[in-house]
Amino acid sequence: MAGLAAAFGSGAMTNSIAEIEDAGCILIIGSNTTSCHPLIARRVLRAKEKGAKLIVADPRNIQLSRFADVSVNHRLGSDVALLNGMMHLILQNDWHAKQYIAERTEGFEALEETLKAYTPEKVQAITGVDVHDLGKITQLYATHPPASLLYAMGITQHTTGVDNVKSCCNLAMLCGNVGVYGGGVNPLRGQNNVQGACDMGGLPNVLTGYQPVTDAGVREKFAQAWGRDIPEKPGLTITDMVPAMLEGKLKGLYVIGENPKLSDPDWNHLNHALKQLDFLVVQDLFLSETAQVADVVFSAASVAEKEGTVTNTERRCMRLHKAVDPIHNTLPDWEIISRLSTAMAYDMSYENPEAIFNEIASLTPNSYAGMTYERMGLDGLQWPCPDPHHPGTPYLHKDKFARGKGRFHALEYQDPAEMPDEEYPYFLTTGRMFAHFHTGTMTRVSPHLDVEQKTGYAEINPTDAGKLTVNEGDILVLSSRRGRMEAPAHVTESVEPGTIFLPIHFGENPTNVLTDAEAFDPLAKIPEFKVSAVKIEKLTIE
Amino acid sequence: MQDTVKAWLENGTIDVFLGYKKVDNHPLPHCFTKARLEELEDLVVSPDRYPLEKIATHMTTAKPEVKIGMLARDCTQRALNVLYIWNQLDPEKIQTLNVNCCPSPLKEKADCSYLRPATVGDYKKEKGVNNAALLEQLSEYGQEERLGRWMYEFQKCIKCYGCRNICPVCFCKECSLEHEDLIKTGALPPEIPVFHLIRAVHMAGRCIDCGLCEEACPMDIPLRLLYRKVNDIVAQVFDYKTGTSASQSPFNILGDSVTLEPKPIQLTGTDS
Amino acid sequence: MECKLVPSICSYCGTGCGLLFEVIDDQIVNTLPMKTHPVNEGKLCIKGWNLHEHVNSFLRLKQPLIKTFGRFIKADWNEAIGLAADRFRNIIDQYGPDSVGVLVSAKITNEENYLAQKFARAVIGTNNVDHCARL
Repeated sequence: MAGLAAAFGSGAMTNSIAEIEDAGCILIIGSNTTSCHPLIARRVLRAKEKGAKLIVADPRNIQLSRFADVSVNHRLGSDVALLNGMMHLILQNDWHAKQYIAERTEGFEALEETLKAYTPEKVQAITGVDVHDLGKITQLYATHPPASLLYAMGITQHTTGVDNVKSCCNLAMLCGNVGVYGGGVNPLRGQNNVQGACDMGGLPNVLTGYQPVTDAGVREKFAQAWGRDIPEKPGLTITDMVPAMLEGKLKGLYVIGENPKLSDPDWNHLNHALKQLDFLVVQDLFLSETAQVADVVFSAASVAEKEGTVTNTERRCMRLHKAVDPIHNTLPDWEIISRLSTAMAYDMSYENPEAIFNEIASLTPNSYAGMTYERMGLDGLQWPCPDPHHPGTPYLHKDKFARGKGRFHALEYQDPAEMPDEEYPYFLTTGRMFAHFHTGTMTRVSPHLDVEQKTGYAEINPTDAGKLTVNEGDILVLSSRRGRMEAPAHVTESVEPGTIFLPIHFGENPTNVLTDAEAFDPLAKIPEFKVSAVKIEKLTIE
Repeated sequence: MQDTVKAWLENGTIDVFLGYKKVDNHPLPHCFTKARLEELEDLVVSPDRYPLEKIATHMTTAKPEVKIGMLARDCTQRALNVLYIWNQLDPEKIQTLNVNCCPSPLKEKADCSYLRPATVGDYKKEKGVNNAALLEQLSEYGQEERLGRWMYEFQKCIKCYGCRNICPVCFCKECSLEHEDLIKTGALPPEIPVFHLIRAVHMAGRCIDCGLCEEACPMDIPLRLLYRKVNDIVAQVFDYKTGTSASQSPFNILGDSVTLEPKPIQLTGTDS
Repeated sequence: MECKLVPSICSYCGTGCGLLFEVIDDQIVNTLPMKTHPVNEGKLCIKGWNLHEHVNSFLRLKQPLIKTFGRFIKADWNEAIGLAADRFRNIIDQYGPDSVGVLVSAKITNEENYLAQKFARAVIGTNNVDHCARL
């Protein structure tokens, strides 16, 4: 988000899902697409079958690696070095889009200077990617336009997450792949309405459509509409809220539809912080791990029990339709918030979600202004949609970047905050598996999903398993500087020797007792879930 | 069409009618009732097919006595025949309104799922199995190559179970595909080729070649061709053409008597 | 007998696949992919195909809960909302609006996210609004 906005002026997937099929080359980095975004993986395979080149760069061997023209396992957290290495070779081979760079971008000279040091040999030393493979992936990416770059949490959940994203943007602009059909820099959003939550001002520094709270004109407009003054100082991010709770500065917390106890880094740390709160309200479908420690729990209606809109990863705002009434004594989230608001002497009485949407459109000039429920129909509309006749925007930055000129960022590679050492010799990385979702509150109660995977597990390479005399199903004890957990071993070539993978869905094997709350990207405040150092032992019963 | 359905609903021939209705330019399956006859103005024949028969089985599960009418193409008729044989629907309670088998320019050679021939790129032609191929064409490959091509297709599988879920004749309460002892759980792709072959074997004498599975497959695996192969064997062995009539199937062991004698297997060159 | 097929959008990952809830007598019995949807063109993954199962789970919360002496007791909406409003009001009066935070959600609708941040900014009076997109 922060990285994309800094480079292009807009923090969203640049192109559309359907366009992926028409790419000349697809580079997938840090996304296990068939498990996490299966219907986007469909487009990738269709592109491949139609003749596109496919490059997969991932520390793990994922399903799509099998179909790649070249697949590389770069070392966890070495993305900037890998991308710099590719760009080094692009310049060396004169494959960069000179006219595009001159007319549409800025900051190229500084990048060029930085890239000089990233020789294939140096990059191999950092990433473990063979010089020959680096040459091949670079050649494929640079010489098969339009090239589409897809990434997910494998890029962002690092201390250098913003740098990683900016490097992806650098690479795409260097070859003139932004602002063209079938190309782009395409972050795949992990949850159904992450894009919408950001677009709606669910962030500490912006109101709807990324209008900054620090802008007096923006505050004045919202103050007019809402009849209350808007605070000027940007608020706390979730990553800053935890220490604020521990210091006693944050006393009350209202959590809507989230399960931070399982999703946030360093479980023990957060657990302790939540206990310091004077008052915690959790609004959810289930008594999640977080709801269990709340003072008040609001029972919310599900996706099938309400109207409203969500915005997907390609900026497409689409309508939900109510299929059944809310069960028992549950209410749609919008009604609960309205009632709480009214009880706190601020009247919120909307007839229906459509009335709320019309208020949003009236206050969000560029992106949502032209949308109505009627215009959306069942296909939805992709923002920007600035006026009632605008057809929506399948790909961004067509003739001009949202910020004017696309900005290159000259970036040096930095090691992850924690690297394996003698005491904690293994890399730990985390992620999702295909049958479950996020913290599992919804999928683990679904019989057809539970049947696929009932418990947590730890993926370990057969070589490492051999060394530890671990067989499939043996219990592993994993410990890091933060904590300790157990999980059954799953012996698989999916992970390289020296690396352990844990899925994040299972509350009884809480992955985040091991991850680090102190290590996060300084700008985006995204924790480094993807890299920690752990030691492993086989559990032996004496 | 509208008049017939209206008459049926009014005179009690049926309680509900399953057809399609355009919603914001999308033809969606819709259940028409006597209480809202005015909706019949929007009744359309959709080129985009949904398993109406399957929806009907869900309705009769909830209320066994309900009388259901539905739009029926050739494939719907075949599916209904299978569901009658397996006692999943009662023919007395089903009324079909037969419609053209897909309003398609390809009509003369069609079968509905030829409606939109799959776009088959060069890479798929080289490595995989062409969705539009005929069984005879597959037999031109040697055995090893054929297996390789099918394995290419199977390893794309993301285990969505869409092929089973959309299938109008898949109704088992317990499914072998989810049986831990048969197929390991939790991995992508699922165990290949076992996963797909187990389903294929279970399609023998069941599959009515509607092609909905292939349309639902996110990875364009030529499932229809695969199941056609097993039905081809069924036809050879039992001289039985699945779905063509509502009379006894050789696989229906709950039937009163076995009416079909197995024929000796003729190993011709068509195995794929 | 009432049977409806209601179009909606999958609430798992960010792809946004179009689907239909199959509703028979006010019970969602099945999920089907929307054949003509521009995103997924009539296909779904395993999670999408089973979206209705979490809706129907017997583990769903059925009414608001209030914790008293360490145990949850069932409450009605007026009690639960009233208590939350009083407690937030007390905290704001005592420690100021920036002592309260709101975590909005990548799982609720745009309208609900909009109201949640409006609640934080206009009702509580703080910009302490964030969500788990980072996580």
